[in-house]
Amino acid sequence: MLLIEHFYENYGKELGLELLAGKAGLNKRIRKPEVHRPGLSLTGYKKNLVTARVLIFGKTELEYLREMDAEIRRERLESILTESTPVVMITKRFRSPKELKVICEKNGIPLFRADLTATTLLSRITFILLEEFSPTTTMHGTLVEVFGVGVLIQGESSVGKSEAALGLIERGHRLISDDVVKVKKKEGAHLVGYGPDLTRHLMEIRGIGIINVAHLYGAVCVRPDKGLDIVVKLEEWDDRHFYDRVGLEEKFCDILGMSVPFHTLPVKPGRDVVLLIETIALNHRLKEMGYHSAKEFNSKLLDTISKRQNKRKKNEAYAKSED
Amino acid sequence: MKLTQKVKIKNDLGLHTRPATVIVKLLQAFNSHVTFTYRGDTINARSIMGILMLAAKKNCQIKIMADGDDADLVIEELAKAFESKFGEDL
Repeated sequence: MLLIEHFYENYGKELGLELLAGKAGLNKRIRKPEVHRPGLSLTGYKKNLVTARVLIFGKTELEYLREMDAEIRRERLESILTESTPVVMITKRFRSPKELKVICEKNGIPLFRADLTATTLLSRITFILLEEFSPTTTMHGTLVEVFGVGVLIQGESSVGKSEAALGLIERGHRLISDDVVKVKKKEGAHLVGYGPDLTRHLMEIRGIGIINVAHLYGAVCVRPDKGLDIVVKLEEWDDRHFYDRVGLEEKFCDILGMSVPFHTLPVKPGRDVVLLIETIALNHRLKEMGYHSAKEFNSKLLDTISKRQNKRKKNEAYAKSED
Repeated sequence: MKLTQKVKIKNDLGLHTRPATVIVKLLQAFNSHVTFTYRGDTINARSIMGILMLAAKKNCQIKIMADGDDADLVIEELAKAFESKFGEDL
């Protein structure tokens, strides 16, 4: 759901919107990410009419309305502009019919006039609404881009997430956001992480305070957003825990209904976390390219074992025939 | 034990850097996992950046969630801190 007031504030300038009527409806919400040109509905055909969509009146609609008698015009408009209609827009700075203004004012539907043509406005608004309506969550962790792979570093407070990120930045990798990462599921198919506007590219390091990475290391070390490819969880080393030694079993975690490769990385003095994260990222790229080191090695090993077994069988068979 | 409580911000400047530091320092003494929820964003209350990102203003409500064996004490102490305006504009 999107408050029309926020929509107007955030995108009004970009779309060249001008409020003509229905100011009282600015606190209404757009409930569906759908845009509609009323066209056919204006002829009086109202089957399957969904009123909760954003309506766009283009040149065709306005010309058609103009040709009608004033009374019919009012009637037809009233039948499609109900209270559940979130917002109405007129394209290309056309003049609004008087009845449209009156009905919008009466029903509290904001009526905007835009600079753009109907086709452009339609696609721009559809895109904006899909963006705004995509599921989002806030996660605790640090998002960095390592060799082109989006790595979300997670872990308890003070385990060294920010320090690891700082080390990665120093080696030429990029920071997207520290501590708080917003994650959005785009087109229902992939995850994108970004930082909240206010704390973008800021980091909090124990003993130093808040630093601005973009200012300290330059624009090359930051990125506004990045696809989230893998999650690495830093953990204090626990002697009783058995950590992955081979890498044959792959673990995944769930973010907004998508499964993301997940690695647990134990931390202890002497283990270079930065280097390890770089290795995990590179290994992920290798897997994406179709080469899985652990699986490849395992199949080679199985091959060698079976060859040896065959050889032994052959030798035994030979020995038997000799007898 | 998992507890939630709503608190109101009473100091004039809202949740800025100093109150955030007070909160994080206060939480150091406890084990519970604590989160704040404001305007649909849920953040870890042990993270200064998280609290600052909320940019919560005066008179708005924040939902505190504490999960752990000392959750009741955490909530009590946090409520006290919010109530006392974090020692500001007394």
